[in-house]
Amino acid sequence: MATEITLAPDLWDATANPEGIVANWFFQEGASVSKGATVAEIMVEKTTFDIVAPADGRLHIAVAKDGVVTPGAVIGTIDGG
Amino acid sequence: MSSNRIMTVSRAISEAIAQEMRADPTVFVMGEDIGKYGGIFGATGGLLAEFGEERVRDTPISETGFIGAGVGAAMSGMRPIVELMFVDFFGVCMDAIYNLAAKNIYFSGGHYKVPMVIMTATGGGYSDAGQHSQTLHATFAHLPGLKVVAPSNAYDAKGLMISAIRDDSPVVFMFHKGLQGLAWMASPEGAATELPEDAYAIPFGEAKVVRSGKDVTIVTLSMMVHHALDAARALEKEGIDAEVIDLRTLVPLDRKTVLKSVAKTGRLVVVDEDYKSFGLTAEILASVVEDDPAHLKAAPRRLAVPDVPIPYSRPMEQFVLPNAETIAAAVRETLGRAREAA
Repeated sequence: MATEITLAPDLWDATANPEGIVANWFFQEGASVSKGATVAEIMVEKTTFDIVAPADGRLHIAVAKDGVVTPGAVIGTIDGG
Repeated sequence: MSSNRIMTVSRAISEAIAQEMRADPTVFVMGEDIGKYGGIFGATGGLLAEFGEERVRDTPISETGFIGAGVGAAMSGMRPIVELMFVDFFGVCMDAIYNLAAKNIYFSGGHYKVPMVIMTATGGGYSDAGQHSQTLHATFAHLPGLKVVAPSNAYDAKGLMISAIRDDSPVVFMFHKGLQGLAWMASPEGAATELPEDAYAIPFGEAKVVRSGKDVTIVTLSMMVHHALDAARALEKEGIDAEVIDLRTLVPLDRKTVLKSVAKTGRLVVVDEDYKSFGLTAEILASVVEDDPAHLKAAPRRLAVPDVPIPYSRPMEQFVLPNAETIAAAVRETLGRAREAA
């Protein structure tokens, strides 16, 4: 079962800043991650948000580092064991 | 939690500080914008939320005051980490650093310890002009009583920060802004590394051979390690096998590893992002020649910032900073293959 890594729709005020970027992935594609681990960092202007794994499993990256994202976007999935 | 994570240097530093703060109630942090903002280069991210304002103290813009307070706290039994936001700002607090922190162990006949970390951001390359772009490695390494650390990657940054906090002498911990892995400043591929979860200490004075080679030794540290490795990869295609040494600490300086390498290769290029004259590059060359002038089969080369303030203009700044191309050209010169550099 795959769990989506979804940015919260209210993570930032999209009326002020419509887009952010994926600043960092802290695991490689296919890495095994634990629920709650910080897997990625999103930057909007100069503010950053840590994104945590919603489940245990294998990470699949959908939006690569430096990719543009909006609130509510799915940036990756976690395939559960 | 897993240890297969690839962490940035900034997160490695803040994790090291957090782990030492959990283990030792005398460890605390002071500096400008180190609390809510997490340090302008991310070195103290998350600390305020976990440890509160008593142990993560935002200061006024007065380095003279809070670096001096850090020395006093260290001599009174605490283990402060004070952040000097840019190393370039040392001018207003140098008395506290070199007359107080560096000397008080000696002046007290060893009765006082000064277990203090002065953490500071170094380096240029991003058009921030001459008061925000220096490394000033040698300015601090020149002064007896200070240990000086300048890591090139996240793994070393965590282990060296833990050693710095546990050290009973003042340690100047110099992180390069361009290695921090910040979202708004690009960093080289190798700066973020796999980072063990547990606390671990890397001893000072142990350089790391980050690439083995037989033809020439490139000695460097901090950001320039990445440029040297890029140069070594380019030279490999020309049949030149370069060894790259990451010094990791300036004080203490691991001369032994340098000498061993140069004895093997017979050729030496030293690269530093600090000013050229009276600096690290000259110190390394002098150490090699003092040991045995016969180590060298060819005249050594050194690459550093020519003796001018770092320019603001991007083309001019890029011109004065060493890079993979200029390092590779210097290596070819030591091998008598200068023409290929053109």
